[in-house]
Amino acid sequence: MTAPAATSYFRSPSAPVTATPAEIDASSRLPMFALVGGAALWLVLSSLLGLIASIKFHSPNFLAGSAWLSYGRVFPASTNALVYGFAIPAGLGVGLWLLARLGRVPLTQPWLIAVAAKLWHLGVLVGLLGILRGDSTGFEWLEMPRYAAVILFVAFLLIAFPAFAAHHSRSERQLYPSQWFVLAALFWFPWIYSTANLLLLVSPVRGVAQAAIQWWYSGNLLFVWLALAGLGAAFYLLPKLTARPLQSHYLALFAFLTLILFGTWVGIPAGATLPAWMPTLSGVATVSTLVPLLAIAMIAVQTVRGCRTECAGGPLCFVKFGMSAFVLSGVMLAISALPEISRVTDFTWFGTAQNQLRLYGFFAMTMFGAAYYILPRAVGIEFPFARLIRAHFWCGVAGSLLLTLPLAMGGVLQGFKLVNPNVAFLDVTKSALMFLRLGTVGELLIALGNLLFLLNVLAVIATCYRAVCTKAYTAITKRLEPTPDPSKEGNAEVRV
Amino acid sequence: MSAEYQNTTTESEPASTLTAVPVWLIVVTLLLVYWGAVFFDQHGGWFSRRVYGPYVSIPDAERFYPLPASGPDLKRGRALFESNCALCHNTDGMGKPGQAPVLAGSEWVTTEGVNRIIRIPLVGLNGPLKVKDQDWNLSMAGMGAAYSDEDLAAVLSYIRASWATRHRRSRRKTSKR
Amino acid sequence: MKSGALVFLVAFMALAASWGGFVLAPQVQLSRSVQTNALGSSDLYPLGRPGLAKQGLEVYRANGCVYCHSQQVVQEGTLCEIVLTEAGTNAAAAAAAVAKLNSALGTGDAKSLLAGLPKMILQVADMNAAGPALKTLEAAGAKAEARVAPQGADIARGWGKRRTVAQDYLADYPVQLGSRRIGPDLANVGLRSPDAGWHLRHLYAPQNEVQGSLMPPYRFLFETRKIGKEAAPDALKVSGKLSPPPGYEIVPRPEATALVAYLQSLRADMPLEEAPLTPPAATVASTNAPASLTNAPTATPAAK
Repeated sequence: MTAPAATSYFRSPSAPVTATPAEIDASSRLPMFALVGGAALWLVLSSLLGLIASIKFHSPNFLAGSAWLSYGRVFPASTNALVYGFAIPAGLGVGLWLLARLGRVPLTQPWLIAVAAKLWHLGVLVGLLGILRGDSTGFEWLEMPRYAAVILFVAFLLIAFPAFAAHHSRSERQLYPSQWFVLAALFWFPWIYSTANLLLLVSPVRGVAQAAIQWWYSGNLLFVWLALAGLGAAFYLLPKLTARPLQSHYLALFAFLTLILFGTWVGIPAGATLPAWMPTLSGVATVSTLVPLLAIAMIAVQTVRGCRTECAGGPLCFVKFGMSAFVLSGVMLAISALPEISRVTDFTWFGTAQNQLRLYGFFAMTMFGAAYYILPRAVGIEFPFARLIRAHFWCGVAGSLLLTLPLAMGGVLQGFKLVNPNVAFLDVTKSALMFLRLGTVGELLIALGNLLFLLNVLAVIATCYRAVCTKAYTAITKRLEPTPDPSKEGNAEVRV
Repeated sequence: MSAEYQNTTTESEPASTLTAVPVWLIVVTLLLVYWGAVFFDQHGGWFSRRVYGPYVSIPDAERFYPLPASGPDLKRGRALFESNCALCHNTDGMGKPGQAPVLAGSEWVTTEGVNRIIRIPLVGLNGPLKVKDQDWNLSMAGMGAAYSDEDLAAVLSYIRASWATRHRRSRRKTSKR
Repeated sequence: MKSGALVFLVAFMALAASWGGFVLAPQVQLSRSVQTNALGSSDLYPLGRPGLAKQGLEVYRANGCVYCHSQQVVQEGTLCEIVLTEAGTNAAAAAAAVAKLNSALGTGDAKSLLAGLPKMILQVADMNAAGPALKTLEAAGAKAEARVAPQGADIARGWGKRRTVAQDYLADYPVQLGSRRIGPDLANVGLRSPDAGWHLRHLYAPQNEVQGSLMPPYRFLFETRKIGKEAAPDALKVSGKLSPPPGYEIVPRPEATALVAYLQSLRADMPLEEAPLTPPAATVASTNAPASLTNAPTATPAAK
């Protein structure tokens, strides 16, 4: 390899590489099952709860008899299931695999990570039941009660430490941009989560400072953390799947630095009940996030440009769509922070649409692409229902566009009517109904796509365990039988 | 059964180029930061915890505080009295023998109608008169003729407020007539 | 970047900066506040919610009301209104003064200019500009006052008299500011709708009270039970499809009563230094207690 050093950053092949990709993938199998498998289940549950919530707009008497299924409990349960049940475990699983692969070191003690993942899922279950029971904390995006938050925090740390250990003992010392993003994400969440829980639940601050801290937390979670975890995966998959280098190392560094510099101040809306400097500062920083957005868009476009590979509904399609959704949702966020626009879009469906586009259109789709790429390698088996991946892709695209674009338009319409005091409030709400209907159709499609994802993930896990069991059975019967009979061996080879 | 997945050992990880960040992006960043600073200067209230939008500063909000209750300005009246009238009538209003009669408790001050006490500083007074059973026959010039209506009302209010408190303070409107 | 330690350092500095700005600074600036005096009076504010209203806040939190209702009033500007309260004895002079101040009021005769008092005759930029106008009117023998008039869509809708500020939420945990308005803003609902009966009926069957409302019914906050020796005093009067079967009555559970007490306690109209406002004209209160203490509706209805 004699590529000129000035224009490329190829890994030096002479550096000692102690683990093959296959070994690394195999070591990540248990964590991936525990994290991504559980995430897929929570994703479907969150879609179901979200559907119940949105049907209530079209028929307020739907399931109205039960306190557990009232809108004010089902809606936070669905958003929490989406973020804490799906987004964080999926991001962790993919991030772990990225750190292992890019550091060329297998994950040691994968069983510890799997146990921690199960603990995390237990925390999510306890938290969701708490919300439905009425123990919601009242703080948006932090609704899980204290007793569940402790479990989640401990589980996250138990997953982060092996990740840092793997990174520390890596054999490839040069850092690739994805590693910065993943390491930052592993550091970010424990700090914001512990701060928010300590100052809002354990030893609450007084008055409106609670709202400031809650907005700080939700901004850092939904903007910075999702961007870090999602871009870490995207910046690996885009070059990998197009067989082209990432354009470029320094632009990625610039994007990383400006993302965390500006993005961490995002979150406080312009009309907030706080002294003027807080919403102003947040608004200025939110508009400035156009800079990392621009850099990231440039990286994505330049990396993919000229690539002739047809993505065919595979992981590359998911990641490309995810990047487009990231840019669009970032633009929506930035312009909604401009003072003249926020006057109209504050308190409307526009904010929900922007959040959903980032959560689902960007992060979930990128995680799907990553999972569809990683799982076959981790398990050694292709997806049993490979054709459904393409169906999932189209369901996801259509669903997220049908959910977010009508909601955004409905929000803007609702906002124009809200600032006009001559329009009765009932007309304001009614004007958004048609858009909500389209949004519900989008949610149906998303739910269908999530089911397909769950199907594939469960099928892979089941196949893997069946193969493991068959192999163990074969090994046992081999010992019992005096002569080995090749024709009796299981017909699925699994490398363990 | 699903197909096996072939994991090659020669699979290489992605690489990144070393192209520099375009200069225009840095320029855009700096422009945005500058715009942000200007915007914060205009709307941010400079980190004060008492400034809430739409007000941009504490004085901006103070423009809407209730006006102070209107009425004659006794402080100004006292200042004017001491600079002018007290030379003859003394700062405690007890008068100076041979110069000016007493004001405190004088029936000329305590009387109900304000016209007498308004006319004296405006027009002046001479000839024999009795003040609290004392005979006086001096001449006083119209010391208050040069004052504005507000100032004269302030002095007279001060005199009556200090030494004839059971009467209303003079109103500026009355002294104009 | 060359090493994980450098990544950690950079991430730490970025997050520490926003932590300082949006976690530490709000605590220092806002959490240490205590009750302050209202603007121009010695009333302490806020007084804290009565116990039943505090329990109602827990019900509000547990049922997720914050996902549809906000509790923040936004203000976009402020003006001063000159309001003529009495014409005085010299009607002609008063009418002339009014016409001089605001020629747009028309050149009708004194009677029409002075009809319908108290009446706003002029809007000026601030209290300093109001001074000369007030002097002109007082010189003509009329009585007038300058009132602070916050501007904005929320205020025009009747959702509040002024913007909400930190002092309004000092006594609340958790603070439920809200970020969506699928339902109306509730920051001053205690001023707008003081009637407990309406709130209870609305919670039980929102579509009965507000035609076409999207709010789901909260029937689980109520209990349908057999009428005892006599009907309960707080039984709901529900008509139509949802009325209880004969011999039964609908009674609010403690959660419903607490929630309604909380809603009745929601008001943010005290004049403050950071959000100046003219206090409402003195009302004939039944007790000497300041208006913000009791749950009872005020003697005069809230002026629009």
